[in-house]
Amino acid sequence: MFHVKLFFHYFMQYLKIRMAYRSDFLVQLATDLLFQAVNLVFILVVFSHTTELSGWTREEVIFIYGYFLVPFSFFSAFFNLWDFNERYIIKGELDRVLTRPAHSLYQVILETMTPESLTGAVTGFMVMGWAVKEMEVDFSWYDPFLFILFVAGGAAIYAGIYILLTSISLYSDSKTDIQPIMYNVGNYGRYPINVYNRVIQLVLTWVIPFAFVGFYPASFLLDKERWMTFALLTPLVGAVWLMLGVAVWNRGIRNYRGAGN
Amino acid sequence: MRSIEARGLTKEFKVYQSRSGLTGAFRDLFNRQYRTIRAVNGIDLTIEPGEIVGYIGENGAGKSTTIKMLTGILEPTGGCLRVNGYDPHREREEFVRTIGVVFGQRSQLWWDIAVKESFRLLKKLYRLSGEGYRQHLDRLVEVLEIGPFLDQPVRKLSLGQRMRCELAAALLHQPRLLFLDEPTIGLDVLVKENIRRFLKQVNAEYGTTILLTTHDLSDIEALCSRVVMLDKGNIIYDGDLERLRTQWGDGRRLILELKEEVPSFVLNEKTRGLSVKWEGEGTRYTARLEKGTTVSDVLSRLVPAVAVQELKIEEATTEDIVRRIYREGAAHA
Repeated sequence: MFHVKLFFHYFMQYLKIRMAYRSDFLVQLATDLLFQAVNLVFILVVFSHTTELSGWTREEVIFIYGYFLVPFSFFSAFFNLWDFNERYIIKGELDRVLTRPAHSLYQVILETMTPESLTGAVTGFMVMGWAVKEMEVDFSWYDPFLFILFVAGGAAIYAGIYILLTSISLYSDSKTDIQPIMYNVGNYGRYPINVYNRVIQLVLTWVIPFAFVGFYPASFLLDKERWMTFALLTPLVGAVWLMLGVAVWNRGIRNYRGAGN
Repeated sequence: MRSIEARGLTKEFKVYQSRSGLTGAFRDLFNRQYRTIRAVNGIDLTIEPGEIVGYIGENGAGKSTTIKMLTGILEPTGGCLRVNGYDPHREREEFVRTIGVVFGQRSQLWWDIAVKESFRLLKKLYRLSGEGYRQHLDRLVEVLEIGPFLDQPVRKLSLGQRMRCELAAALLHQPRLLFLDEPTIGLDVLVKENIRRFLKQVNAEYGTTILLTTHDLSDIEALCSRVVMLDKGNIIYDGDLERLRTQWGDGRRLILELKEEVPSFVLNEKTRGLSVKWEGEGTRYTARLEKGTTVSDVLSRLVPAVAVQELKIEEATTEDIVRRIYREGAAHA
């Protein structure tokens, strides 16, 4: 309960700051929309040369992309850890966080969240809606519940991986470029996995499981015959990665060396 | 229960040592060399509730590292540590409710939001509520005179204004122990005075224990009855300020200018039996007075025999003393 209330209060403060810098907010929103549009155009361009991609139709691929936007937007809204090293380690803000009575990672998440990224989920729903309208899909009564579980699992996978990568800063204060690389790898999760080489498929499933964020659950929602085991594993994989990330973070905090004065 | 109890408190850092040159950098890729640095070397420190203790030392002496261990930010490498009855790092979330922290060089408040919004968030973080909190806040606002700029964001405040807000923020949850790291750095004399007066008041009224690090020894003189001095990770002095002065203070100095030249043996002869050391020659002499010798003892013996033109009495400042201790090392302490 304490954590929920705390979230609410940080959220209110966030809104107040955001409203004070209105133009910033609009620019951010416009960039997000543009970014999503470019990705969509990319898919359309690919399909203007071909009608099928390893057995996937244009509408299906677009649906998977739209689905991917939903967990991804939750991740980008609440795990905006990009400048953690700069802001919390080098500038020493983590010292302040550690003198406050709440879990350190939770505080960092509250301080860095960007809820406006949730607009990505709206775009995602619109994209999925269009794709569904073009196809014939049978949805069952339990699909919305599965959808929620899948989205939570997908966001948790992303969160776990990024918390893990961010925790590296706690062990060594040198800057690493691994986060942007991972960001690019993450994009592979939003296309049908069987278009890739076998090795990449294995990596995206078992090593850095981005395929669980977009592809497996989305294709399962389209057709219950496909990828059922993998899709149903999504919440589990999410839980495992999130726990792993938090565990590495907690260990990292014990290793934290403090910022120099 | 003691405020702080540390036995053999130690913190070591592994530092990566880079080799020089391009070939060195290449070798570093495969085989890194680490060197262990002991920032804090097995210190013992006990602080009772209600004390105001000054923690001093040169840059790199280990002050900040100690403070960070005491506040739960860093985990000690060795030794045992209880602060307010808690293990600061392991029981961090419970423990930090009982302490307040002000780091002079770094803001504890949120940069972009109004001061009173910062207070509101802190209130939620520390789960404070009720009439008691309101009254306490009103009192802090009144005493620190921060009412007029509660609506402004922290980044728009002057350093002095910000510091007063930081103090209020650190005391909102009525901590039993307050850590101040360079609280008066960069402030002008008047603001310094105000802050010192406020700290004394807090200490007297709530019995708050205060541990203070500073480079400005006038802070220590104004506030602390006890000084802990750190050098290269070791405590080289722990005791009251008076003892520090008498032990290291070099006594007082009496600087004389005589009307006519007098050989030094005459002066030695006149002050025989008093612990005085004479330096100088001709008409200018300096007398170092040690062990209870007073200025009037010396003058009453001299004046009948020697014509004094001018005299000046000098006393070593705390700053001189500290400088001397660092120069001569810990051997005498």
